Amino acid sequence: MLLHACVVTKHTLNLSVKILQEHLTPLKEVNYDIAKNHQVRKKYTIQLGENELVLKELDLLQEDANVYKLIGPVLVKQDLAEANANVRKRIEYISAELKRLDSSLQDMEEKQNSKKDAVLKLQQKIQSLQAGKGKA
Amino acid sequence: MEDAKKGTVTSLASIFPAEEAQKAAKRVEDTIAEKEKELDRLRGFIADNNNLINLVQKLPEELHHDIMVPFGKAAFFPGRLIHTNEFLVLLGEGYYAERTSKQTTEILKRRGKSLDSQINSLEAIIEDHKAEASFFSATASEAAEGLVEIREDYEEENSGKGEFKSGILTDADKVKATADDEEFARMMSRLDELEKEELAAESGNHSDENEETTSDFDEISYQKPIDINLQNSEDTQQRITLEQINDKSIATEFPGECSYQEDISDQLNFASLALQSQTREGKSLAKNLKNLDATSEKSTTHLEEKMVQPTTASKSVVIQHQPSQPLFDRQKASTSSIVEHAGYAQRNSKEKNSTSSQVGCRTSEPSFDSSKAFTGSILEHAGNLQTREKNSTSSQVTGSQPSKPVSRFRMQRR
Repeated sequence: MLLHACVVTKHTLNLSVKILQEHLTPLKEVNYDIAKNHQVRKKYTIQLGENELVLKELDLLQEDANVYKLIGPVLVKQDLAEANANVRKRIEYISAELKRLDSSLQDMEEKQNSKKDAVLKLQQKIQSLQAGKGKA
Repeated sequence: MEDAKKGTVTSLASIFPAEEAQKAAKRVEDTIAEKEKELDRLRGFIADNNNLINLVQKLPEELHHDIMVPFGKAAFFPGRLIHTNEFLVLLGEGYYAERTSKQTTEILKRRGKSLDSQINSLEAIIEDHKAEASFFSATASEAAEGLVEIREDYEEENSGKGEFKSGILTDADKVKATADDEEFARMMSRLDELEKEELAAESGNHSDENEETTSDFDEISYQKPIDINLQNSEDTQQRITLEQINDKSIATEFPGECSYQEDISDQLNFASLALQSQTREGKSLAKNLKNLDATSEKSTTHLEEKMVQPTTASKSVVIQHQPSQPLFDRQKASTSSIVEHAGYAQRNSKEKNSTSSQVGCRTSEPSFDSSKAFTGSILEHAGNLQTREKNSTSSQVTGSQPSKPVSRFRMQRR
C-alpha cells in the first residue's frame, strides 16, 4: 500500500515536471521576444533622436543652402525642402513604429506574466510533491 | 497570545534574505558602473566636440594648410587643404550640409549643449541608482546582523485594563483634541488674515479706475460730518483739540485728493513704498506724537464716552484705545481714534452709509506733515477700495461692524 502510494506520487511528480518543462519553453521564447523588442525600441529611439536633431538643423539652414544625402558611396545633392519633408516623414514613421512596438511589448508582457504564474504554480506543486515523497 | 494579537515580529532576513539583498545591491552597482561608462563616453564626445570647434574656428584663418592626407590604413601622403571656409557637415541620417566655419561652429555648439543635457540627466540617474544601492547594501547588512521587524497594528481606542484607565485616556485625548482645535482655529484665523491682505493688495493693484471715484466720494463725505461733529462736541476744550486735529486731517487730506486727480500711477508707486516709509518715519513720529499724546488721549476718552451711545460707530474707537500702554502704540491709538471719530461723524450724518469711508479717514494721521500724510492716504485708499469691493468681509478688517450693536472687541475688553 505504501509502496503503491509512493509510485503514484512519483508518477505525478514526473508528469508535473514534464508539464513544467512544456511551460518553460514558451516562457523563454516570450522573454527572448521581449528582449528583442527592447533592443529594436532602443535603436528606433536613437534614430528618432538623431532625426529630430537633423530636422532642427535643417530648419535652421537658409533657403539657399546646399544639402546632400549620402546614398551608398556617393553624395547626392538634394533640395532643402525635399530633405526636410523626407526627415519629417522618417520621424513620423519611426514614431508610428515605436507605438507599434509599445503595444506589442505590452501584449508580450501580459503573456509573460500569465506564463510565469503557471510556472510558479507548477513549481510549488512539484515542491510539495517532493516534500511528500521525502516524508514517505 | 496577547503578543501575537498586538503585533508581529519578523526577522528582516526572512523578508529580504541577505544574499538576495546583496545580489540586488550588486546588480544596481553593475548598472551604476554601466552608466558611469556611458558618462565617460559622453564626456569624451564633449571633449572631441570642443576640439573640433577649435579646429573649425582655426582653419579659415589661413588660405590653405599643408597636411598629411591619410591613404588607406597605414599610409599618408602630403597634401594641401584649400577652401578652408567650406565645410560639409554631417547632420545625421546621411544628410550633409555645406556650411561656413562660423555656421559649423554654431551647429557644433548646439550639439555640445545637447550632450551637456544628456550628461546632466545621466548624472541624475546615477545618483538615483547610488541611493538605491546604498539602501540595498544597508538592508543586506541589517539582514545579516539579524535585525527584526516589529509590526504592531495601530489601535485607535486603547482598550486597556479597566474602564478607569481608559476614561483617563479619553480625557487626555479630549484635552489634546481641544488644544488641537485651538491651534487649528489660530491657524485658520491667521490664514484668513493673510488672505485678506492678499486681497487688499490685489484690489489695490488693479483699481486704478475706481480710485478717482472713491476719492471724490471721500472728499465730499469728509467735510460735512467733521463739521457736524465739531458742533456736537460739548466740551470746549476738547472741541479745540478736536478742531486742531480735524483741521489737520482735512489739511493733510486735501493735497492727497488733489494729486489723485493729477496722476494715479504715481500714487500706486507711493503706495508700495508707504509701508517702508512708515516704519522709517516711526522714530521721528514718536517725538511728534509725544506732544500730541495728551490731547489725543483726552480726545479718545471723550470719544469713547460719546460714542458708546450711537450704536454703530463706537466700537472701533474702543479697539484703538485698547493698546494704549506703550508710547508708540498710544500714538497709533490716538491717531486712529481721531480717524474713527471722523468716520463716526460721517456715519452719523450719512446713517451708517459706508464703512469704507472710515478706512479712508485713517489717512489723517495728525503728526504727519503733508507729504507723509500723502503716502499714508494712498495706502488707506487701497484698503478703502477693498472695503468697497467686498463689503461684508472688509468690515472685519477695519474692526468696525456697523450692523452689530456691540462689538466683540469691546466685549473682550470688559
